[in-house]
Amino acid sequence: MVLYSFYIFDRHTECIYSRRWTPRPVSSSSKTARPQSGSSITSNGDATTVARKRTDDEKLIFGLVFSLRNMIQKLGGEDDTFLSYRTGEYKLHYYETPTRMKFVMLTDTKQNNLRPYLHQIWANLYVEFVVKNPLAPVEHPGGIGVANEMFERGLDAFITAVLPA
Amino acid sequence: MSTTFPIRQSSLPSHPPPRPQSLPPQSSHYNRPAPAGTSTAMSSTPSSGPGLRYPSNKKTIYDRNLNRSKNAELSRAAFAYLFIEMIAYAQRGARDVGDLEQRLNNQGYPIGVRLLDLLLSRSSNPLASIRPTRILPLLQFIAQTLYRHLFGRPADALERSGTDSAQYMLFDNEPMVNTYISLPREMSSLNCAAFVAGIIEGVCDGAGFPTEGVSAHSVGEQEEGKDGKGAPLWPGKTVFLIKFKKEVLEREEILARGGG
Amino acid sequence: MVVFALFIISKAGGLIYNREFHTGMNKLSSNDLLMLAGSFHGMHAITKQLCPAPPTPTNPASTAAALAPSPFSNRPSGLEVLESSHFRMQCFQTLTGTKFLLFTEPQQPNIDSMMRKIYELYSDFVMKNPFYTVEMPIRCEKFDRGLDGFVKVRG
Repeated sequence: MVLYSFYIFDRHTECIYSRRWTPRPVSSSSKTARPQSGSSITSNGDATTVARKRTDDEKLIFGLVFSLRNMIQKLGGEDDTFLSYRTGEYKLHYYETPTRMKFVMLTDTKQNNLRPYLHQIWANLYVEFVVKNPLAPVEHPGGIGVANEMFERGLDAFITAVLPA
Repeated sequence: MSTTFPIRQSSLPSHPPPRPQSLPPQSSHYNRPAPAGTSTAMSSTPSSGPGLRYPSNKKTIYDRNLNRSKNAELSRAAFAYLFIEMIAYAQRGARDVGDLEQRLNNQGYPIGVRLLDLLLSRSSNPLASIRPTRILPLLQFIAQTLYRHLFGRPADALERSGTDSAQYMLFDNEPMVNTYISLPREMSSLNCAAFVAGIIEGVCDGAGFPTEGVSAHSVGEQEEGKDGKGAPLWPGKTVFLIKFKKEVLEREEILARGGG
Repeated sequence: MVVFALFIISKAGGLIYNREFHTGMNKLSSNDLLMLAGSFHGMHAITKQLCPAPPTPTNPASTAAALAPSPFSNRPSGLEVLESSHFRMQCFQTLTGTKFLLFTEPQQPNIDSMMRKIYELYSDFVMKNPFYTVEMPIRCEKFDRGLDGFVKVRG
């Protein structure tokens, strides 16, 4: 199984945590989609473009899941929830907490629905290590306090445990 | 004749090259004596004499079926797309539905005239290759031979009108030309089988049975009551009304008297 | 086995056909449906863009294949299946850009073959209909009837 990326959006539509497992960032244009020899970022210029693309992707994904969720609620009723979508290349899993936080994970297409796992990440990792952390602020503008050591380590351990490669 | 011949040759550079090896005995049959000046041209094209070319088995290209194999089929999709263009062409400048049907009818008419010749000349039974001279054999010819040739099956029913003795009705439960056609609401009275009606009219006319016109009408919905259930059995059922002219009926009467 | 609805979206993003086979989804006004189709058209394009980089290939042969520039086979497909707790939506995009959206129950099997059949009906009774103008709303009685028969037989 291949894990591409993982995002957490807070209720202010901001991406407070993102993590990628692919060596190269998601590119939004087909021209740069071709793999290049070196996957590591060498120059400063590259780093800035990569950073820009990352935030772009975060915004795109948020907009997308937001619209899809609205569409599904329009079609299927208020109690309908958006679970996942799949394209020919990847699958996007979605979980929304009761506090309107959104957990999004991109994997390969063969993966079954990861909603229970996203729920566990929220309940066992986010709540434990971020919400209960006395040093973390209540709100996380710019992702402050989310990516702490305990959370990162817990996430790594969880993923290697439940989603073996 | 012989002087015009080389000119025709030169004006047709793309004429298929003759194959003298395959037809050596024939060339002597029909080779007209050519003038001395054109002898070189003739020697290079020995098999391209005027008139029909008769191959050794005495079968011309006209004797051969266009479809070589028995079950040769034409692409239905190709026909459908061609028919779309034919209807679009007929629709251009058509005043109303009646006018459109008349245009489709006109497109079918020459096909009917030609098909009559083709089908008669192709029939394997030499006695049957005589043009029908009575109404019933003509209608049988249309319902059987013509229909089989065009659609691979005979027509579904043939009736004589009870009210008008000059009128005959040919039924087709599912006209092939209408297979993919859904009529828009504003043209619900149109039946594109008017094209087939034109072919039938052409056959009748070509056989010497002038008609007042052949028209196609949808009768699928009228069957609804007979069926008892909601949906008609043949929603696309079409009747071709064939109304012969007075003189045809008079001749028919005379022939009947003479025969009986 | 329940098929809820079928939408067809033209390549410009307009809703050209919508048909409900079975109640179970919200009733929407035609205006809402048109808006929904338009926004889905945009979302579909975004899902194409979000395609993550292909995973690092393990064997060198596939690396060479990935490096070879091939504009057609490499093109991302965009959204194909959308799952919610109430329904499952299959999206099939033809090579000409028309999109077919089929809404079914979440556990519906054989959607691919259904989609194929629907595409076949579309190409027969819509595209071969002389009175249909491409990219315009589909009003073809025989297409409706074909879908009815097909979905009823299935359901």
